[in-house]
Amino acid sequence: MLDWRQSRVPKVAALISSLTPDLSKVLSLLAAALICAGLANGLARPERRLDWTGWAPPPAAAPATASATAPATPLPPPQPPAARTQVPAPAAAAPAPAAPRKAPAPPPPAPAPSRFAPSAGELIRELSSEAALEAFRLKLPFLDARRSSDYEDGHLPGAWSVPIWEAAAPARITEFEARANPSPQSPIVIYCAGGDCEDSRLLARKLVDLGYRNLFIYRDGFPDWVKQGRPQERGPRP
Amino acid sequence: MIRRLLHPWLTVRTQIALGAVFVAAALPKLADPPGFAEAIWNYQLAPAWLIHPAALTLPWLELLCGLALCLGVWTRAAAAWCAALLLVFVTALSINLARNHPVDCGCFHTQAAARSADERVADMRWAILRDLGLLALAAQILAAGAAGPRKEA
Repeated sequence: MLDWRQSRVPKVAALISSLTPDLSKVLSLLAAALICAGLANGLARPERRLDWTGWAPPPAAAPATASATAPATPLPPPQPPAARTQVPAPAAAAPAPAAPRKAPAPPPPAPAPSRFAPSAGELIRELSSEAALEAFRLKLPFLDARRSSDYEDGHLPGAWSVPIWEAAAPARITEFEARANPSPQSPIVIYCAGGDCEDSRLLARKLVDLGYRNLFIYRDGFPDWVKQGRPQERGPRP
Repeated sequence: MIRRLLHPWLTVRTQIALGAVFVAAALPKLADPPGFAEAIWNYQLAPAWLIHPAALTLPWLELLCGLALCLGVWTRAAAAWCAALLLVFVTALSINLARNHPVDCGCFHTQAAARSADERVADMRWAILRDLGLLALAAQILAAGAAGPRKEA
């Protein structure tokens, strides 16, 4: 046993010391990876681009399952989203005009049924399949939090594409605000792929940070919509 | 036995095998950085500020290390990076396995598959075993370099 140790210890030391001369090469590989990543990300198409300092919530803050998400801490007072529409969207990320297409003042929202009325205690609530259909018939705005490619493969008619993991997401939110002009209390329905998909929750939390106070998550998401045989659209966002 | 394990004939083949695996793992992530960022987020381990830089840089690091191993250039530095990355992957998978949080590995693809929690847990166990095997390959390359350092390009 003693011989084993005597024969192995120098080899372990040699293994460790043999790495030392490679330190410059180790760092060079990392530097090369950073340079390649920067170049590739700069040249990537918008749907494949990531901001280096992108927004992502703390992992622990996203519940895996919850029927309704209420703020754990006092939230700041609602910021009127209409004020943010004055900020122009980045030209590269938002090719569509940021200005509203129709009249600058949107039509006053119809009296919302109690199901979609703001709730003081719950900023984010879940919707069943039937409630999502009701929201669709009431022409409430739907936001699709899935990737752009998934949106192009099929989405709810009239849904806005806000792919939360893509660099274009902030510009899409700005565009949605400019064209739909929702108020902080306006009901907004968000969906993704259902199941354990967390994208709609992430987008909802982003919208809460932006001041929205009446958000709904279509719990079963687009797969359920398709399963129920409801209308859908294909293709990129208008 | 040790001499056979560190034989240059075996080392070259180990380098090519490990390098090919890393190149194959890098390509889907390079094609879809947002998807890989989501995969990292799903592990619920990395701080928010690290997710996007890691999603952008790690695939390139995997690709460069894989190519270096396949081409026989800077093999020990590349093997050291591979070993470090594999240790991180094994640790991340083990932690999520221990706390019963099934995740998609995100090792060779970035799109989350529609699978049950049990299927994900089984996949995580296999991924840990696979990564430990790859870690053994990286250790062989490092040990071979330490036993008889060859002149690298």
